[in-house]
Parts: sequence; C-alpha cells; structure tokens
Amino acid sequence: MMAGSNGSDDNLGRRLTGFMAVGFIALIVVGIAAAWTTHRSAAHIRWLAHSYEVQNAILDARQIVERGETSRRGYLLAPEQRDFLTIYRNSTVALPAAMKRIRHLTRDNPSQQQLYARLLHQVSLLAMIRDRSIALVFAGDIAAARAAFDTEHSALPMARIRDTLDQMADAERRLLTIRERDVIDGERLFYAVLVIAAVLLGMVSIVSLLTILGYTRDLTQSRDALRSLNANLESMVRDRTADLTRANDEIQRFAYIVSHDLRSPLVNVMGFTAELESAAAPLRALVDRVDAEAPALADEAARFAAREDLPEAIGFIRASTQKMDRLINAILQLSRQGRRTLAPEPLDLARMVDQIRETLAHRLSAADAVLEIEGRLPSIVSDRFAVDQILSNLIENAVKYLRPGVPGRIVVRGRPEAGRAIIEVADNGRGIAPSDHTRIFDLFRRSGAQDRPGEGIGLATVRALVFRLGGLIDVESRLDEGATFRLSLPTTLASQEPTP
Amino acid sequence: MNAPQSVNIIMIEDDEGHARLIEKNIRRAGIMNEIRHFTDGTSALDFIFGDAAGPACNGPALVLLDLNLPDMSGTDILAKIKGADGAVKRTPVVVLTTTDDSREVQRCYDLGANVYITKPVNYENFAQAIRQLGLFLSVIQVPDPSGAA
Repeated sequence: MMAGSNGSDDNLGRRLTGFMAVGFIALIVVGIAAAWTTHRSAAHIRWLAHSYEVQNAILDARQIVERGETSRRGYLLAPEQRDFLTIYRNSTVALPAAMKRIRHLTRDNPSQQQLYARLLHQVSLLAMIRDRSIALVFAGDIAAARAAFDTEHSALPMARIRDTLDQMADAERRLLTIRERDVIDGERLFYAVLVIAAVLLGMVSIVSLLTILGYTRDLTQSRDALRSLNANLESMVRDRTADLTRANDEIQRFAYIVSHDLRSPLVNVMGFTAELESAAAPLRALVDRVDAEAPALADEAARFAAREDLPEAIGFIRASTQKMDRLINAILQLSRQGRRTLAPEPLDLARMVDQIRETLAHRLSAADAVLEIEGRLPSIVSDRFAVDQILSNLIENAVKYLRPGVPGRIVVRGRPEAGRAIIEVADNGRGIAPSDHTRIFDLFRRSGAQDRPGEGIGLATVRALVFRLGGLIDVESRLDEGATFRLSLPTTLASQEPTP
Repeated sequence: MNAPQSVNIIMIEDDEGHARLIEKNIRRAGIMNEIRHFTDGTSALDFIFGDAAGPACNGPALVLLDLNLPDMSGTDILAKIKGADGAVKRTPVVVLTTTDDSREVQRCYDLGANVYITKPVNYENFAQAIRQLGLFLSVIQVPDPSGAA
C-alpha cells in the first residue's frame, strides 16, 4: 500500500512536470510565432507601401507625360498663349525626376525594370518629337509644326507610353494583391498559432487539474483506508491484549487453586504418616520386648516389618510429601509473583550486583569464585524486586554450577540497545548442552548431572519475571564451556494497572 | 446462676482427615472440652445461631474455622459471626486453613478473626500449632452469658 502510493507520487510528479513543460513549450512557440508573424507582416506591409509608392510614381509620370502632351498641343494651336509653353517646359523638366523615381523604386523587380527600359525609350522618343515641333513653332513655321504634329502619329508614341504605363500599373496592382493576401495570410497564421496554443494550454490545464483532483481523491481514499485500518489494528491489539490478560489471569488463578487444593490432601498424608510413625514406635518396642522375653513368639517377618519395612516406607512417604510440598510451594510462589503489582523505579544495577555479591560472599569464597562487573551497566527503570530476583537467581545458578577444580569467574555486563537494555550474566562453569537450552527454563526441569540440590524452579521463575517485565531471555552455552544468560529488558517499564 | 460452663469447641472443617488430626492434637494437648464437628457452613451456622446448645442460646464457645468449605466461603461465616451481636459476636474464632496468602490473612483479621493458623504440611508444626490452642483456650475470657458486660 505504502509502496504503491509512493510510486503514484513519483508518477504524479512526473506527469505534472510533463504538463508544465508542455505548457511552457506552447507559450514559447506562441511567442516565437508572434515575433515571426509580426516581423513578417511588417515586411509585408513595407512591401505593400512600396507597391503603393510605385503606383503613385507611375501615376505621377503618366500625369507629367499627359500634361506635356496637352500643353504642346495647346501651344501648337495657340502659340500666342505663352502659358502652354511654360507648362510644357515645366513638365519636360519634371519628367526625368519622375522617371528616375520609377527606376529607383522598381530596382527590385526585373520585369518592371524591363518595362521601365521600354518606357524610357518611348519617353525619350516622344521628347525628341515634341522638342522638334516646339522648335518649328519658335521658328514661326506653325503650319509645318501642325502638319508634323498631325503626321507624326504623335498619338502613337503616346499610346505606347500609356500602354507601358498601364502594364506597369497592372503589374504593380497584381503585386499589391499578392502582398495584401500575404499580410492577411500572416495574420491568419498568427491567429491560428494563437488558437492552437490556447487550446493546448487549456487542455494541459484541464488534464493537470483532473490529475491533481484524481490524486487528491486517491489520497483521501487511502488516508481513510489507512485510518480505518489503524482503528481496526488498535482494536485488534486491544482485543488480543485483553485475551492474553484474561488467559494469563486464568492460568494464575488455576495455579493458585490447584496448588492450594493439592495442599489439603497433603496435610492429611503428612499428618497420618506422622501418626503412623508414632504408632509404629510402640509396635517396635513390643517386638523388641517379645524378642527379649519370648523370642519364640516373634517370627522374622514381624521383626523385619517393625524394624525395617515400616520405618523405610514412612521415610519414603515423608521425603516424597516434602518434595511435593516444595513443588506446590514453587507453583504458589510463581502464581503469587504473577499477581504482584510491578512498581517501576530507576535502578542502579551495579549496586544491585554488589549487594548480591555481599549476600553470596560465603558461597563465592567456598566455590573459589569471583563475581565481576564488566564495563558500565545500563541504567533502567523497572521493578526492583523482580530485577533483583532475576539477577540473584542467575548469579546463584552460576555459582552453583561451576566446574570443580576450576576457579570460577562470573561476569555481569550490559549495554543499551535500541530502547532496550541488554544484560548478560556469563560464567566459566560446566555449561549446558544446546539440546537443553529451552528445557532449563521450564518449571521442575533441570539439566546435566543432578548432583546439586534444587527443584528446577529458579530459571522458570526468572523467565516468568522477565516476561512480566516485557523482556526476553536466552542462553548461549556448550557443555564444559560456561554459559551466558542474555537478558533483554525494556529500558523503561511502563507502570501498569494492578491485576485484579 | 454462675454455674461453671465448659467452652464448647465448634469445628467447621470439610476434610475429615484434617478434622481427625485437629481433634487428636487437641486431645493430646489435654483439652477435653466437647468438640462439635460440622463439615459444611450451613449446618454450622444453624447450630451457632439456632441450636439450644449453640453459643447464641447456651454457654461460651470457640469456633475453629476452615476457609475452604463446599457450600460457602469461610470468610462469609466469619463475617456472619462477627457481624452478629451479643454472645455470638464475642465468640472467639480461630481460622485454620492451608492458605498463607497475606491478603487472605489480613482479610480474616479485618473481619474480626481472633487467631489465624496456617495448616503446615510439616506435621510437627501443625501439631504444635494445635497444641498451642490449648494455651489459648486457657486464657480466653469466657463471655458472661447473662450479658453483664
């Protein structure tokens, strides 16, 4: 679940970055397109203006040519009118400039240049004819001039010039149309780019929004799922704990009742055994007396029964009941410890070990053993009585099971480890066979040579106490190589409700 | 009026063996008072509160009480005796049981038990504890049935 949501986080990040990149690219494309189309339309408009200028120049030239022609004709018809001559002269002067302007403006267009060359030729031809007829008028030969005007087919060059000018104007108009279309196309392209970019941006935003919304919904769902799972888990843990507490209480009660009710018959067994013993005493005395006074009355069987069988049987019954009493007491003690309320307090383990050393001083010296603390023991908050009992039992065991002839060395060491305290009690004693490592913690079970007194209660008590303190215990050992009991206790024992 | 009355011993004990051992040891201690044995709480209470020979109507008594009974808890009987008034309330109660649980002992004393004796499995100790009862019987003040106190 967690890994999945993590993956979808990455995925979401990648997708959003992708969308943003697409958006930025779209914006950049729009910018470039705008700059490009603006640049292009500026050029188109420049060309458009240029075409208009060319058209104007053509019109100007045409006007000047026409004006010159009209004024010449007027002058030929009315030579006394000097105005015509002035107009004619002005137009003659103005024409080269107008022609030059056309040439200049159409420099870029070879076909217009060709037409211009033709125009220039036609215009100079016309100018020559005109100058001749004007010169005739000056000379006074008006009639000849007029005749020449009629015959010179003056209209023909003029018509040619008009035709050329028309052609040039047409060409320029065609160019104008093309350029206007270019401008419009450029604008259209710009708008198209703009629209495409807008659509793209819109789509990116919508998809991003949907993605984020979807992700948020997923997140909310998984959070809800997690919350309900958590609540479930808590109630499960609560139920489990309640079950365990109930089971534990049940076992404690069971142990208590059993040990208690077992004692009752034992009182009878012990009591009547004692009665039997005291009853056997007079019987034995009687057999002794019979033996002394009338040996014939007593037979071997009666003698044997009174002197050997009865005391032996009573002795075995006693030893067994005493042992049974010790076992029952052990169970009772265990169940009592299980019912005791733990009182956590800060503990100085080193001082505790010192006190244990004092208590065991006699036994240590008798066994030629030393008890040492190695390094610093971790400080813990736990139940004093329980921890003391655990350490005492472990150290006592170490003293009890040393190897004969080898000076004993018992070491207590510890270290903190991830919120827990590890405490080790190590010895160089006789060790425990690996196959017995689990068994030794069971009640009434022992391991190795049974040459020491004991009921197999110590380690069972230790384990029960360690469990109660929320700890663990294990052992590392091999035969003849010593044993290391390793305790792992919570650094701080939570104080608990007293068990009812 | 003030005729000497012997103290009746009322033994409430469901285990016949225990009862027999207790009786033997009481006798061995030289105490010859009458012992009435009940194996359940109901008949014992009937006797204490209702019987003409019981402490309610008749002379002084001593109750030997076992806590584990088949029909009711010994502590209930103790509470009833000590919760009554007059002669019954003043009747000394010796609790004799296998429990040595300190809370249980404390509870019995709180309810008004006069002596608490744990039945030890070790018979010598047991016999000795019972014999000491004889000493106890010789020093208890016999309540005056006329109620002059």
